[in-house]
Amino acid sequence: MTEVVVDVRELRKTFQVTEREEGLAATLRSFVRRHRKDVNAVAGITFRIDAGEVVGFLGPNGAGKTTTLKMLSGLLHPSAGEASVLGYVPWRRENAYLQRMTLLMGNRTQLVWDIPAADSLRVLQEIYRIPEAEFQGTVKELTELLELEELVHKPVRNLSLGERMKVEFAAGLIHSPRVAFLDEPTIGLDVSMQVRIRRFVAEYNRRTGATILLTSHYMDDVVALCKRVIVIHRGRLLYDGPLADLAERMAPYKVITATLHDGAAASTDLDAYGTVVSREEGRVTLRVDRQVAPERTARLVNDLRERLADISVEDPPIEEVIDRVFTSEQTTVSA
Amino acid sequence: MISTYRALLVAQIQSAAQYRVQSILWMLFSVIRPVIFLAAWVAVANSQGGQIGAYDVRDFAAYYIALSLVSNLATSWNAYEFEFEVRMGRLSPKLLRPLHPIHYSVVENLVWKLTTIIPLSIVLVFIALTFDARFRTTPTHLLLFVPSVLLAGSLAFLSGWVLATLAFWTTRVHAVSTFWDRAAFIFAGQIAPLALLPGPLQAISLALPFGYILGVPAEILRGGVSVTTALELMVGQVFWVVVFYVAFQRVWRVGVRQYSAVGA
Repeated sequence: MTEVVVDVRELRKTFQVTEREEGLAATLRSFVRRHRKDVNAVAGITFRIDAGEVVGFLGPNGAGKTTTLKMLSGLLHPSAGEASVLGYVPWRRENAYLQRMTLLMGNRTQLVWDIPAADSLRVLQEIYRIPEAEFQGTVKELTELLELEELVHKPVRNLSLGERMKVEFAAGLIHSPRVAFLDEPTIGLDVSMQVRIRRFVAEYNRRTGATILLTSHYMDDVVALCKRVIVIHRGRLLYDGPLADLAERMAPYKVITATLHDGAAASTDLDAYGTVVSREEGRVTLRVDRQVAPERTARLVNDLRERLADISVEDPPIEEVIDRVFTSEQTTVSA
Repeated sequence: MISTYRALLVAQIQSAAQYRVQSILWMLFSVIRPVIFLAAWVAVANSQGGQIGAYDVRDFAAYYIALSLVSNLATSWNAYEFEFEVRMGRLSPKLLRPLHPIHYSVVENLVWKLTTIIPLSIVLVFIALTFDARFRTTPTHLLLFVPSVLLAGSLAFLSGWVLATLAFWTTRVHAVSTFWDRAAFIFAGQIAPLALLPGPLQAISLALPFGYILGVPAEILRGGVSVTTALELMVGQVFWVVVFYVAFQRVWRVGVRQYSAVGA
C-alpha cells in the first residue's frame, strides 16, 4: 500500500487585517477605532499526497498557496482543520519533524550572508546532527547535481541570484528531508538556470524518493516536474488530479495549427472548421470543440490537400487552461 | 549541543570579522556614557569637598569602570534585531530548524563580548589610571562577581527576549524597548550608583529588575558592598532570572502561534 505522506483535511487560515480609508480624518479616527476584517487566506482545503509524488500547487497570487505551505511546514498555526505530514502535526514543530522536511522559498535566504556557503553547511550539519560520513556523501551528491564546486567557498553575498539559489537548495536539502515544500524555487532566474533547477529537482526526487509539493508561476516548472496538480483559488480547491487531465476538464477545446504552402493563410476561409484565433505568415490557429476535433481535422486535411504543409492538434497551452480556471471560477473538480 | 555551539561560534566569528571596525566603534560608544557620568560626578564631588555619601572621586572612578565592564559583559540587544527578523520574515528559516532561535542570539552576544572585551579592557585600564580608581575588592568579591555577572547577563538576555517576543503581536517593539531602556537608564545604576539614588528611587530600582542587571554586579566588582549584602542582592538576581525565564517560556509559546510569517 502506498504511504500517505501529506494528509490535509479542511485546513483553514484566517488573518485579521486592519483596514483604513485614505486621508487625515480616517487616520485620526483609526487611532481610536480600528476596523478589522477577516481574510480567509485558506478556506477549507482537503488533499492527500503519497510518498515520492511531485505535486504542483497552482493558483494566482493571493490564492493561499504559500499560506498552505507555511502551515504544512509548521510556520503557521491554522485557524481550523487538520494536517499531518509524515505522521506529525506540522505546527507542533517537533524536532523529529523538522529534521525530515524542508521549506525552500525562492525569494528568501536561509544562509549566513557574510560567510561562504560551505561554512553555513557545517553549521547546518551540527544543527541537524548529520554524521560526518553521511554529510560528506550528501555534500558530494549535491555538489555534483547542482555544480557547486566553485560556489560554496565564496561568501553568499558575492553570489548571483541563480548561484545563490543553487546553494540555497544545497542548504535546504543537506539533511536529506523526506518532504520538500518548494515555494517558487525558480523565481527571478534566467531560463537556463530554471532548466537546471528543474532538472535537479526531478533527479533529486528520482534518487531519494522525496515527496515534493511545488508552487510556481512558471508553468514550464510544473509541466516538467509534476504529473499531478492541485489548483486553488481564493483559498478553495478547484482541481486535484493529473496535469494531463486538467486541460480536458477545464478547457473543452483543442487547438489545431495548420501551416499552408502557398502562403494563402490570410485569404483562405477557415471559419467553417472552428474559431480562428490567429493568422500569421502561412500559419492559422483554430480553436475547435474537443468532441469534434478529430472529424474537423480530417475534413481540414481532406479539403486543403496539397496546400497543407503541416498540421498539429494539441491541448491548449497550460497557461491558457489555468487562466480559464481562475477566470471562470469553476466548482471543485477532482480527478 | 556543544558541537552545535562550536559551529555557530565559528560562523559568527567569521561574520563578526567582516564588521570589526564597526564593533570597536560600538564598544567605544558604549564607554562614552559612563565616562561622561564619571566626569560629572567627579566635578560634583570636588565641589563638595571630594565626598558624596560613601563615594569619593576614586570610588566613583572604580564604580563607573566596573559599570562599563558589566555593561559590556551583561547587556544584550535582542529586541531590536528580533523585531527586524519578525518584520522581514527572517525568523522563518530559524523556526524551521531543530534548534530554538534563542541559541543563535546567545552566540551573537557571546561573540560580541569576546571581540570587544580586550580593547574595552585597555580603555578601562587607561581610565582607571587617569582617575586613580580605588577598588575595595576582596578575593571573595571577585569570586561572587563571576556568578553575579552571569546572572546579570541571563537577566538582561531573558528580559530582552520577553520584550522581543512582543514582536509576534506588534511589529513596533522598538517603542517598548526604548521605554525599557529609558527606565533602565534611571534605575539600573547608570545615572548614579544605586546607593546615591534618593530613597524611593533606590527602593524602586531594587524592587524592579533594572538594578540587578548593572548596579549590583558593578558594586560587587568594586567591592562597594559587604559580602553579606552581595549575597542578598544575588538572591534578587536569581529571583528575577527565574521570573523572566518562566515569562519567556510562556510568552514564546503563545507568541509563536501568533506569528504570521509576514512576507516569508
